[in-house]
Amino acid sequence: MQRDTLQIRTADNVGIGYEPAGIASRFLAVMLDYVIQAAIIFFVFIVVQAAAPDASSTTVALLLFILVPFIVSTGYFVVLETATSGRTPGKRAVGIRVIRVDGSAPQLTEALVRNIIRTLDMPLGVVAMFINSQSRRLGDLAAGTLVVREKTAYSAPPAMPPVLLRTPDAGPQIEGVERLGLTEYSALRTFLSRYGLTPQQRQHLAVEMAKRLHERLQLPASAPERQWPAELFLERLYLQLAGRLQAAP
Amino acid sequence: MTIDTFVLRRQQGWQELERCIATARGGALRDVSAKDLERFGILYRRSVSDLAIARRDFPDEDITEYLNGLCARAHPLLYRGSPLRLGSLPSFYATGLPRAFRAAKIYVVASLVLSLAGVLAGWLAVALRPDLAATLIPHSLFDQMARGEVPTGGLDNAGFTAGFIIQNNIRVALLCFAGGALLGLPTVYVLLLNGWTLGTLAAAVHRDGFDLPFWSFIVPHGVIELSVIIFAGATGLMLGDAVLRPGLLSRADSLSRVSGRAVGLAVGAASLLVIAGIIEGYISPSGLPEAAKYFIGVASAILLYSWLLLAGRPQRSRPQMSLERVTPA
Repeated sequence: MQRDTLQIRTADNVGIGYEPAGIASRFLAVMLDYVIQAAIIFFVFIVVQAAAPDASSTTVALLLFILVPFIVSTGYFVVLETATSGRTPGKRAVGIRVIRVDGSAPQLTEALVRNIIRTLDMPLGVVAMFINSQSRRLGDLAAGTLVVREKTAYSAPPAMPPVLLRTPDAGPQIEGVERLGLTEYSALRTFLSRYGLTPQQRQHLAVEMAKRLHERLQLPASAPERQWPAELFLERLYLQLAGRLQAAP
Repeated sequence: MTIDTFVLRRQQGWQELERCIATARGGALRDVSAKDLERFGILYRRSVSDLAIARRDFPDEDITEYLNGLCARAHPLLYRGSPLRLGSLPSFYATGLPRAFRAAKIYVVASLVLSLAGVLAGWLAVALRPDLAATLIPHSLFDQMARGEVPTGGLDNAGFTAGFIIQNNIRVALLCFAGGALLGLPTVYVLLLNGWTLGTLAAAVHRDGFDLPFWSFIVPHGVIELSVIIFAGATGLMLGDAVLRPGLLSRADSLSRVSGRAVGLAVGAASLLVIAGIIEGYISPSGLPEAAKYFIGVASAILLYSWLLLAGRPQRSRPQMSLERVTPA
């Protein structure tokens, strides 16, 4: 299933498709990151309390309340986006990541630019994200980055050959198979792999498809293949085509 | 080739690349041996060409989407800018920052002019309408200073003052940079307001005749602090200019090109605010004689600007007097 994708052409001159992350998932990711920041700040408080329980002078306390939150909130995104190539814990949990517009990984420069501008983006960037087709906020525009979805399928889906019920083998050689190619093979494979059709629907589609394939094969009107039941014809044709194509490199 | 044979023949390579991605993500690529790295590149290029084949021959199959995801995950691991090395930090301060400063000098001048305009406007406002001085001076924090009560000898909370001021000023400096993304309008506002605050305060102090203690409080840290805000403002103006006059690029492209260059100056300059904040916490309000405070201010100015203007210039080869050349052989 193909959703709206942005094609980024790589150095190998093949376009890799990316799906830009929407406002909702990015909002969720940033909220998770803020929760983690709060946890870090809280942790530092606990550690300082435990390490120096009697250091309750105003200077120490106020430094803690001002400097620690400042350093954590400023540094968190810059450090983590640099270290993880744009996959902060919040983004990873939601399944999104930052990339540069050329598809490469963001570095310190990009992390700095997009996160310094984050302060402006909390109120205003949402408007930019609404307007921009790739949901880029101001910080993304300035840094030359965008946030995309990471695909979660981590193993190749097994190729499932269709189950054939009507013929045990490829049957007699069909005239003109060499006229057909991958397109017809793919169409046949898709049709034969389909589940959930009633026998009538299946029969109807098969007749339509067989008719067109007769044309493409340029079968003479007297050819015996025209007399086969449509579904049997399609299955035999599929097997013969597969055999031919598999033999070819 | 049918889809079944395609998957069967190529699957092993994809699985191997999958394992490479997992290792590279677990640690960093730098832990991967040169041989494995080469293998990674080969596997990646094979998978990308498989993706191209799958796009052409099996555009609607799951396998195409899987290959796309595989390549999308592998690509940023192999393609990236030069990584950050802590070892490059000294050379950034030794040459990179001064060069970035000199490259941005037009914007620094513009930023300075805006700040001076704020100072002038503030001064004139207080001088012309002394009755409104109390409302014209924005920072209530500085009310006591306007009455000539310059804080001296109050070092009890020096650490807190320094810490608070450092984080506040860094926030302002970074906001100046960020404002560039909005045509630099927030930047212009911050620069004018900063100048206005100083101008109104100075005028009020001058009216009451407390000039010397007031400036002895401002100058030690003010030289660096005000300079940095002006530099940060310059980076914001740079960005704003890139958006307003993108030339042949799109506005977004122009912005991202310039911001990559400007961010080093903004962050490098903001780091100097740590020095300014420490001076402001520990020296400016201290009981040191005024002459010493002025000396610190002037010394910081000389150090700051000789570094920014002179460091990292290309070495000119000096004309060498060579007797051997002059004397005929």
